[in-house]
This record gives sequence, C-alpha cells and structure tokens, in this order.
Amino acid sequence: MCKHLTRFTFLAVAAVLVLSACGGGGGSQLAPLGENLTFGMLLVGPANDHGWSQAHYEAGLYVEQNIPGATMIYLENVYSGSPAYTGTTTSQLAEQLVAQGAQLVIFNSDDMKDEATKFAQDHPDIPVIMASGDQVWQDGEAYIPMANMVNIMGRMEYGKMMAGCAAALTSQTGKIGYLGPLINDETRRLAASAYLGAKYCWTLAGNDPATLEFKVTWIGFWFNIPGFTSDPTQVADDFFNNGYDVVISGIDTTEAITEAKRLHDAGQAVWAIPYDFKGACDQAPDICLGVPYFNWGPAYLATIQAAVDGAFATDFQWLGPDWADINSPDTSAVGFVAGPALSAEDVVSLDAFIAELAGGLNLWTGPINLQDGTVYLGDGVVATDQEVWYLPQLLEGMEGQSVTE
Amino acid sequence: MDVELRDVHKTFGAVHANVGINLHVPAGTIQGILGENGAGKSTLMKVLSGFIRANQGQILLDNRPVIIHSPADAIRHGIGMLHQDPLDFPPMRLIDNFVLGHEGGLFPNRTTAARDFTLLASQFGFSLDPDAYVDALTVGERQQLEILRLLWLGARALIFDEPTTGISAAQKEKLFSALRLLAEQGKTVLFVSHKLEDVEGLCHRVAVLRQGHLVGETKHPYTTEKLVEMMFGKAISVGERNPCAGCEPTLSLHNFSAEDYRLKVRDVSLEVCSGEVIGLAGMEGSGQGLFLRSVCGLVRAVDGRISLHGKNLTGRSYHAFKRAGTAFLPAARLEEGLAAGLDLTEHFVLAEKPSGFFVNWEESRQLAQSRIAAFNIRGTPVSTVESLSGGNQQRALLALLRVPLNLLLLEHPTRGLDIESAIDIWSKLKERCKQGTSILFISSDLEEILQYSDRVLVFFSGKVTPPLEAAALTTEALGQLIGGKGWEDFALGKGA
Amino acid sequence: MKKKIWVNIAFQVGALVLALLSTTLLLLAAGAPPFQAYAAILKGAFGSAGSLETLLITWSPLLLTTAGVLITFSAGLWNIGVEGQMAMGAIFTTWMLRLLQETSLPPALTIVLGILAGIVGGALWAGLAGALKTFGGVNEIFGGLGLNFVSTALTIYLVFGPWKRPGVGSMSGTEPFDRSLWLPTLPDTELSLWSLTLSLLALVIIIVLLRGTHFGLRLKAVGKNPKSAFLMGVPTWQYSMLAFLLCGALVGLAGAIQVTGVYHRLLPNISSGYGFLGLLVSMLVNYQAVWVAPVAFFFAAVNVGSIQLQLMYKLDSSFSGVMQSLLVLLVLLGEGARQRFLRKH
Repeated sequence: MCKHLTRFTFLAVAAVLVLSACGGGGGSQLAPLGENLTFGMLLVGPANDHGWSQAHYEAGLYVEQNIPGATMIYLENVYSGSPAYTGTTTSQLAEQLVAQGAQLVIFNSDDMKDEATKFAQDHPDIPVIMASGDQVWQDGEAYIPMANMVNIMGRMEYGKMMAGCAAALTSQTGKIGYLGPLINDETRRLAASAYLGAKYCWTLAGNDPATLEFKVTWIGFWFNIPGFTSDPTQVADDFFNNGYDVVISGIDTTEAITEAKRLHDAGQAVWAIPYDFKGACDQAPDICLGVPYFNWGPAYLATIQAAVDGAFATDFQWLGPDWADINSPDTSAVGFVAGPALSAEDVVSLDAFIAELAGGLNLWTGPINLQDGTVYLGDGVVATDQEVWYLPQLLEGMEGQSVTE
Repeated sequence: MDVELRDVHKTFGAVHANVGINLHVPAGTIQGILGENGAGKSTLMKVLSGFIRANQGQILLDNRPVIIHSPADAIRHGIGMLHQDPLDFPPMRLIDNFVLGHEGGLFPNRTTAARDFTLLASQFGFSLDPDAYVDALTVGERQQLEILRLLWLGARALIFDEPTTGISAAQKEKLFSALRLLAEQGKTVLFVSHKLEDVEGLCHRVAVLRQGHLVGETKHPYTTEKLVEMMFGKAISVGERNPCAGCEPTLSLHNFSAEDYRLKVRDVSLEVCSGEVIGLAGMEGSGQGLFLRSVCGLVRAVDGRISLHGKNLTGRSYHAFKRAGTAFLPAARLEEGLAAGLDLTEHFVLAEKPSGFFVNWEESRQLAQSRIAAFNIRGTPVSTVESLSGGNQQRALLALLRVPLNLLLLEHPTRGLDIESAIDIWSKLKERCKQGTSILFISSDLEEILQYSDRVLVFFSGKVTPPLEAAALTTEALGQLIGGKGWEDFALGKGA
Repeated sequence: MKKKIWVNIAFQVGALVLALLSTTLLLLAAGAPPFQAYAAILKGAFGSAGSLETLLITWSPLLLTTAGVLITFSAGLWNIGVEGQMAMGAIFTTWMLRLLQETSLPPALTIVLGILAGIVGGALWAGLAGALKTFGGVNEIFGGLGLNFVSTALTIYLVFGPWKRPGVGSMSGTEPFDRSLWLPTLPDTELSLWSLTLSLLALVIIIVLLRGTHFGLRLKAVGKNPKSAFLMGVPTWQYSMLAFLLCGALVGLAGAIQVTGVYHRLLPNISSGYGFLGLLVSMLVNYQAVWVAPVAFFFAAVNVGSIQLQLMYKLDSSFSGVMQSLLVLLVLLGEGARQRFLRKH
C-alpha cells in the first residue's frame, strides 16, 4: 500500500514538472491592456499602516476612480521572509497576482527590487512598475534595460527639507532625532535632506549652525519586525529622553508620533514629524508638526493609462512637487501638510522657506562635506541627480551610522 | 477520641484492598496496625483520613457517624495523618509551614501562632526553631513539625504511617515518648508499621491485616510467633527444590557494598552456583531492591568486587553486565521492562542482538509467533504490550530473555498474578536453571521465597543475613527476621 | 479488532469534519462566502502552472523539516529548535558559498560544498541542543527555544554586519549570489528538480530508516519508554543524540536549499516558519512517515492557495496559519477523545 502511494506521489510530481515546464510562455511586445483593466500591487506593509503602504494603496484607489472599469488587487506584508507567506518569494507572489488576473504589477518597495527585476525579466509581456527603484535609470549605477519596467519615485528630498525646517523652527533644545529605517542610498539622502532643511532654517532663525544636533538612528527595516529590527518605539523614546525634542520619522509606520503623543500627554514638550502618508498627522495632531508625503496617484494613473492605451514605455521617473500647489492631489507627486502643532509664526517661516524652494533654492549646493570630512560638493557646486540619489554617506554635522559597521 | 470503623470495603478495579474491616479504637489508645506490604493498611488509613472514599462502610467518631470527604474535612473532624514522606513545602520557614492549612482568614496571626508553636514544642520536648527553613530539617524533625501542626489544627486522632523509617534511634525514642504523651492526653494514636519490634514496644493493642482482611487483634503483651503467624498465614508447604550438585560459581560478590540516598547495603560476600535460585526476602525498601540493581550495574557499587564467571565486572555499566549474560526483570513491567506502544514483534526484535542494518520483519514475526506459543502468551505478534494482561506481560518479559543467560535477576516475578500464571512462570524459570542460569529474585511472598529458593538472603534496614539454606528455614523464622528480630545470631557484615 | 478500526476512522473523520466546520464558521465570520473561498484556495494552489510551481517549491523544505522532526519525535524529543537549525544550515551554506565564490572552483562543486556545509551546520546546532539535554540536563524545548534566539541574533548580526550589502544595512538580506551559484531550475520556472529530488529522497530514507531498520526501531523504543529501552540494551542517550544530529542534518539541508534554490542569499527569518510547520505536520501524521508527503503537500497547498483569500476577500494573510493550526488542534483533540473512548470501552 505504502509502496504504491510513494510511487503514485513520484508519478504525480513528474507529471506536474512536465506540465509546469511547458507552462512558461514566450513573450511578445507590450500590447494595450484595454478595457476592464486589473492591476496588481504588492505592498511591503499593511494597506492601513498610515504610512508608505497606505499611500500606495490610496494611489491605487485613485487609479480605480480615474480609469473606468479598473480594478486593483493587492497583497499586503510582502517582504523577504515575511511569515505571512511561508517560503514564497516576492516574484512568486507577483505570479499569484497575475494568476488572479493582474495585467500590470506594482512592486511598492525597495525590498522587492531584485525580485521585481526577476519578475520583469521573466515576464517581458507584463508591464511592471517598481516604486523607489533605479533599475531602468539609464544614467543610474545599476541600469538593467527592461522594456516593460517603469521606475517611479517622488523627490522626497524637498519634503524632507520642509520637515527638517519645521523641526528646526520648533525645537527648543536644538536637538533633532531622525528615526531611520534601514540604511541604503535612498534613506541616506532623505535623512541628509532633512538635515539640510533643518540647518537652513536653524541658521535663518539666527542660530549658530554648529549648535544644531542632528542624530540618525536606524532600526534595520522599513518597519518594526519584532525580534528582528530595533523597536522604533524604543528608539523614539530614547531620543525624547535624551533631549531630542523633535523626532523626524523616516520609517513606514507611525511609532514616532505615537510615542511623542504619549510623552506629550505626560507633560513633556516634544514633537514629531511622520512620513509618507498625507493623513498621518491625524493620529496625534497635538504633537504633529506636519507630514511630508508621497502622492503616487497621478504618476500611477499616467503610467497605467499609458499601458491601457498601448503606450507603456520604460522610464525612470523622479518626480518633484508641483510648486504651484505642492498639495494638489492631481498634479503634485510630493507634498507637505503643516501639522496643528506647528505654531502660526513658524507656519509663516516654513511657507517662506517653501516659497524659496519653489523659487529655485537648492540646498544640495556646495560646500557640502561627507560625514568623514571629505569634500562632496565644492563651494557653489550644485549636485547632479546621481550625486543626490547615490549619496555614499551622511553629511558632516550629522550624527549616526552612514553604513552598518 | 473514640474511633470506630464498621464494615469498610474498598476496591481498586479487581483488587479488593479492604474487605469488611471492623475496628474500634477507644480514646487514649495507641493502636498498632500491622501487616505486610499490600495487606491493606495504608488503604484503610487513607479512608479514615479522607484521601480516598470507601465503597461501603461507616466511620464513627465518638460514636457519631461521619462522612469524610477530604483530608481538610478529616482535620475538621479531628483526624490528622502523618505520611511516610511528610507532605510539607520545603522552601518555607517552619512557622509558615506551621500555620499552613489553618482556616484563620487570609492573614494568619503569626504572633499567636509562634507562641502556640513554642508552647506545644516544649510540651513534647521538641527543639525546633520556628524561623529555620524546613528543607534543613531531618526526617525526624519534619515529623515533629507535622505532629505539632496537626495538633495545633485540632487533631484528636493521629495516624502515623511507618513513622520509624529513616529516623535515628534517638529521634525514635523522642517520637515514642511523644506518642505516649498524646495517649495520656486522651488522644488516639494509630501506628502503622511492619516492624514487629516497634509495635511490640509501643502499642497498647495491635490489629493485623492480611490480604485486605483484618485477621486478628491482640493486646499487650505479645508473642512474636503469633504476630508473625497472623501476618504471613500458616502452614507454608515447602516445595521441591533442585539443589545444584557440585557448585560451579557464576556470580561472586566479595565485600560488596551499595548505597542510595536512603540506606546502605554493606559488605555482602556471596558465591552463587550455576542453576541456583537465591530468594531475597524483606519488607519493601529494606535494601534488597538496591542490592539487586547493583548486581547488574544499574546502581554503581560503592565498594567490593563483583565478577561473573570469573570475569571482573566491578564498576562496569549495566550494558557491560548485559553483554556478560546478565538480565534484569523489573517489577514495574510497563514502566521499566516493556515499552507501551510497541507490539510484541518489535519487542522481540529489540531484545535480540541486531543482525544487519535492516530488520527482517517476516522472520521476526515468525520468531514472535513461536515465542508467543512457547510461552503461552495470550496475544498476537501485533498486540501492543499494554493491551496484554499482567500475567501475559510477565510471560512476555520472560520470553524476551536471550538464550543462553548466566544470571537472571527478578523483582517480584509473580506479583499480581494468579496462581496458575505464577506456577507457569516458575516452571519457565526452573527450565532456565537447568540450562545453568542462576537466579536472584525479590519477593514479598514468603511462601514463594521458601518454595523456590535454594538459599535465602534476608534484608532488614540495609542489613543482610548470610545466605540461609531455604530447606532449614521456616516461615516463622523468616517472618521474625523480616520484622527485625533474631538478628543477634548473625555476625553481621560478614556474610558467609 | 475490526470494531477498533471503525472507531479510529470515525474519530479521524469526525475531527476533519469538525475542522472543516470551524473553518467555515471562521470564513463566514470574516465575511467570505465559504464555498467560493474553498474553491479559491483550490484554484490558487492548482489553478495554474505558476501556482503549482510555487506549491512544489514550498513543498520540498516542508518535507525536509517534517522528516527531520519525525526522527526526533520518534525518539520522544520535542525539537523546538528546528527553526534555528534550519537558519544555521542557511548560514553555513551562505558562508561556504561566500568563501568559494571568488575561487576558481567550478560552480557546481561550490554548490555541492555549500549544501554539505548547510547539512553540517544544521546538525551541529541540533547536536548542541542534544548535548544541552544529555549532558546539561536542559530540556530540549527550552534549549531549542534559546538556540533559536541565538541563531536569529547571529543571522541579523551577519546580515547587518560582516555580510551586509555594500552601503546597505537592511533586513532584506545579503547580496544575492551570482546566478551560476543558483541551484539549476527547470527552464522558465523557479522549480529546482534538485531540491525536490533531494527532499523526496531524504523522506524515503527516513521512512525506510524508521520502519525497516534496527536503528529506527530502537529509536522508537527510546521514544516510547527510555527506561525499558535502556534495560533492553539500547544506549539511550547516544540514540537521542543521533536523532538530534539526523534531524539537524535534514533541516540544515532545508536551509541550504532556501539559500541555493529559493532566495539565493541569506535573510533574517530564512527558516520562514518551515520548522514549526514541520512540527505541525508531524503531529498530524502521528509519527507515520508515509503520510508526510501527502499531508505536507496539503499544507503547502493551503499556504499557496490561501493567498487567494487575501486577494479576493481581503482576509488577513495569517488566515492560512489559523486554518492549519485549527486542523492540527482538532485532529489532536480527536485523537485524545479516541483514546479516552477506547479506554472506556
């Protein structure tokens, strides 16, 4: 009996192998996706995280509203080794989306970069959007030509500068904490941008730039994975208890403002600035100085509409705010909403700063030194996109790890 | 307090542990309860102290019928029991242990309790420090603490289960005078023991139990012969023996000593002939179990020399003894001898020397089938061992023994078996003897010891008699030795 | 005898029906139409070549961890440390591949050495749990839990420290290995026949070992009653150690396969719960190794298929885990009830 069973299992496996071997198809050029589009999205966190993933999820809803008949399907908590999907890789999950009818797939996280590449290469006929990636940036350092991939990223450097400015305007101790996720090019340049904004407004308010303390602490991932990352609540708490009265969040989730609110309710003068999602301040308006956020909707809409029309073409999009109205839901890729906790006087200063940025102020202008003291940008030199994107270290004046030790 | 038991019956499954016991103990009496292991003494006392409920019967305290639901209930009625292993809570201070179980609200009044404690202790001449920790006490001191605790809780009848085991002679004296004082105060004392000497020296009256029945009551003064006769029954017929002609020694012990945490068996010297049967008699826990296990390496001997067929095995492991042809059959068949969940065939395969890497299941089933038939086991090759009856389990254990065997050690080979199975098993064992196997066995059944042994070793509190010719022994003499009497005849520690 | 078989079947079927019923209730409570949901799971697992492929990919490590855990179960040991042992296998494999990737060794040999290193790594870690139990008197459950924490900490240290991607400090893992160091897959798929064959082979070996050899029988005796086994002449602690080592070797192989065949790098949480899932499967099959393949297949299918539930009904991604645990719980309860029933009758 058992012998038979084993043999049967072997045969079944063999049959399946043959079938699946025949299953893969040859590719064709990208055809128009046409009516009643289904698009898939892989979210690194939960769709209601009040942060990075929710911003993407709501952009998907925006696309659904603006393309008649479009439907989004999505999977949450997709990251390497996620316990939600025992042993399945991200590209396999993308296959699941396709099996469920997705004609276009959005990978929403840097964590999925290699897998997105693999999937795009395996499926040259399926349009792929990889948010925050640089694979198809011709001038990038990791260029891999893929006709079916578009990279989209917002120029959050501006948002972070505004956040840094708001923090510097508010801070009474002159000590600003930056709750960093993991360490890579993106997170380094965003932390650095926040520092540049903070330094600018700190100086503008008549302070000595040398008296500004700006410290970055990394937790190890985009959000808290108990047992694996540092606990962001703990990190925020350490900041507040060591005299850092404003914490700027660089992670996908809202621990910084939650913790700030707890301490605020206990009578401490602390503030925080969340990240990613327009509505993030709502959780704790009392201590929220504002939120720099992504508005992925317009870019997704345009790219998906192109795919529907048969005009999808590989592209690297690094999109800035619409300076006419940085908070326009239909035109601006990056925005900043001032929070209720930012004083009226500081709102005026911040608005002036934003107006300066709109007018062409570029804080990525030399002299800028790297953390180890080497010159990165000489006096008056303006950074190229590459120099900003691939920032190798934190900047001089910032405290914290540039790379892991 | 006047304590009376009327027609108490207690059964555990098929075992009738107490059969219609009637016992009346007037206040101020020290009542001895005597009997061999398994006679039903402990069961009866547990019924009285509320640990178990009788199937039938009545308990009267001061002539009023009561129903005792639990030990706590018993103490409310004034009955307290001291167990063989005192039930205390080691990491506590004495005084905390003392107030434990007192129904005085959530927060016991420690000051009052401490005063009572000191008062009681001085009354009995116990020197106990209420602030010491319980785990630092000797067994005797724990007993004293427990007595005080029960008295403080209001006990008017106290039950002592084998209280003289594990305490020093001085403590025993103190205990006895305390018990006498209790009796003078009008308290009732029930003293459970198998030690004739203790019972004779202390008790006003003795009741003897045998196989669940109360077989007799006597009063001070006692005749030892009569007590032994009541304990073990009369008219033991000595069976036919097959003494080995011309001794070829298998097992030799020289000044052999072994010890465990409770007692030490000292300086045994012994030569066992091939085909000889040696019975080990004694109350449970007198050292015979320890001795048997040390003879097969399960307990390391602390001193002396042991050899098997001339091969020195001193200090070797059990598996070395096993390789040298020793087999050990534990009394706890399912706990130590057989593996519940495995079937008979699997047991036979395990017991044999493995041949090759793979098991030849077909051959093994045939082997199992033939052994099952040869040993008259009621079961099939695929029966799991736990589905067999006790007798069949015992036969299975015998069937598992390898052939040939030099030395076979058995704990209670026929305990719990019916007569027929017992005879059957002994005929198998005698066959082994004819093949040259020497047997050492423990039994609490004197009849069995006398019937099947060639020589007998008697154990009492770790002391061992020299080997005694079974043919020259009577149950009476054996019973006295087991009860600790008549040892002065032996030059102890120097076995024959 | 015959009656007993029917009782067994009745209880097992009863447990399954109960499991199905409670899952149905759970689905209803979550607002998903149960029958469509079951159909979606089936379709999600078997509906396309891609999903079948995923199913087979997740099947093979589960086979290995289950087979490994069966050995320790047979010896009466709760090898909770199986997750850490798998991680340690992955660490050793990664270490070997990193060591050899710059050398001129042929990639095939590098992969083989990497996998062997993984096997050794898993066995070592399991051996440590065994030694803690045998020589230190540490219960294997506590020892295993502790070692799991240690292996997680070690992985995190390596991923963020010595083995980090240049300029990056992320949970996402180490730099992926060159494609030449990936286990070869069937064309146009991610399915490696090597990993599947190795796992099935390992399972067959374990089945044979447990059912057909003196070693297996003695192991079982140690598991059922170590005292009796000892008296029957089985060197018990040596057999316990062997069980740990064998289990660790298999589980280490699973870790090696995750590195060489699935993720192509070291991740924190590389064991992905396969170890615990293996414990569940082996409890469900009740020590009977022949059932491991189908039951593990079923579990893998539920894992893969229930992704559809999230897609279609927005059920939480942990739903499949809840379903599987529920099933195991009820089957174990059913087993307990059966034994009580048989004891009474």
